[in-house]
Amino acid sequence: MPLFETCIHDSHVKLGAKMVDFAGWHMPIQYTSIVSEHNSVRERVGIFDVSHMGQIFVSGKESSEFLSYVTTWNISRLSDGDCRYCHILNDEGKIIDDTIVYTFDQENYMLVPNASMISIVYDWLLLKSDSFDVDITNKSNDYFCLAVQGPESLRLLRQFFNLSITPFKLIKSENLIISGTGYTGEKGYEIMGPTSECLSIWESFIEMGAQPIGLGARDTLRLEKGYLLSGTDFNGNQTPLESGYSWVIDWNHDFIGKDKLEVQKNSRYDTLSGILLEERGVLRPGLPVFFEGKRLSELTSGSLSPILKRGIGLSYVQLPVGSAVKVQIRNKQLKGRVVQTPFL
Amino acid sequence: MSEIPDNLGYTKDHEWVGPKEGKGVKVGITDYAQDALSDVVFVELPSVGDTFQSGEVMAVAESVKAASDIYAPLAGKILAINEKLEESPELVNESPYGSGWMVIIEPSEDLSSLLDAESYKNTLD
Repeated sequence: MPLFETCIHDSHVKLGAKMVDFAGWHMPIQYTSIVSEHNSVRERVGIFDVSHMGQIFVSGKESSEFLSYVTTWNISRLSDGDCRYCHILNDEGKIIDDTIVYTFDQENYMLVPNASMISIVYDWLLLKSDSFDVDITNKSNDYFCLAVQGPESLRLLRQFFNLSITPFKLIKSENLIISGTGYTGEKGYEIMGPTSECLSIWESFIEMGAQPIGLGARDTLRLEKGYLLSGTDFNGNQTPLESGYSWVIDWNHDFIGKDKLEVQKNSRYDTLSGILLEERGVLRPGLPVFFEGKRLSELTSGSLSPILKRGIGLSYVQLPVGSAVKVQIRNKQLKGRVVQTPFL
Repeated sequence: MSEIPDNLGYTKDHEWVGPKEGKGVKVGITDYAQDALSDVVFVELPSVGDTFQSGEVMAVAESVKAASDIYAPLAGKILAINEKLEESPELVNESPYGSGWMVIIEPSEDLSSLLDAESYKNTLD
């Protein structure tokens, strides 16, 4: 099957990016090097093409009731212009996908699912919308998304749009949706709009000094902050409680999967925990984690933190913060520790 | 275009072997290999005294994204390792033929199995 390409795919190739298959998309993994791109975002400003992510619009009289039912958050509590990170669960309370809900007004919302989950989330919403007065439209192919992230990102927004933005708020500017969101843990925002407008914005921000950033640094940036990666840190088998994201749950409303979470809440279960390597080495997804000589689990995510210069990873374990563990890399068991995320 | 010095020997697995200095030869990875790996963030080297057959895994270079095996370009014994790579693995990227060398091997075979610069360059085309 041919790979999907974003509307500025040719620009990535022209910039000399190394391109890879990511969730069926031909995407830039790096333009120069993952470490230098990572540091650009932490220290200055970078721009990411994340147009592979989805845009699903929900409108109609019962939109807020519907979205409150299909997500872990009570969406009817959001005000116009609010953006809220939450999870979409199946009937078993397991995470289908994580998403941000964008509130245009009380009858118009947008969800941004992960690239590999767009059609699954869309079908799920349709399936669950029978008894609600809502319209659900998948406009993922018509929209671009650029993320501008880093301490200098707000200066570029003022320079280009003459706008400022508050974290987790959105503003509409002509055809564009600009929101104080991102997935790097830095100040920043995401710009979404019709694909025809993407290239000129992309090129202008690069001209103003934003470094193009590939998916390689996107992964190390989110991992340093302990953010979940869809398909990696959850894959249909974990609840938000297990993933350590109980804060995405508003218990004071009814939602799909709530009954299962209420049962789990009072039991013991593994939670996704940060693992910091205490010896030199790089953690990788799939590496086995040992505690007191016994193999406990595997890492879901793993890499080297370019800032800490230490191996960092995530794993589902039932161990208190501070526990000494070992991670097997090739034929050696290296010392690690369970730590609170974010790693920095 | 990657740099391929004329005075070195090469393997098709992108290792280089320096001219004989005393009993040993210096070994590292080529400019092409460091560029393909990108950002070397960790290098696992063998211990002095270890012996390898030609083509055996003797070291591992890890980038943020992946781990790559480094093969012994010749059969022999490890005489020295570049300890600077422990603190500064990025030397492999910055100076693959210089301060980014990996080990010194005392070969137990002659160097005739190695490719010259021209033949190595042809493997990259």
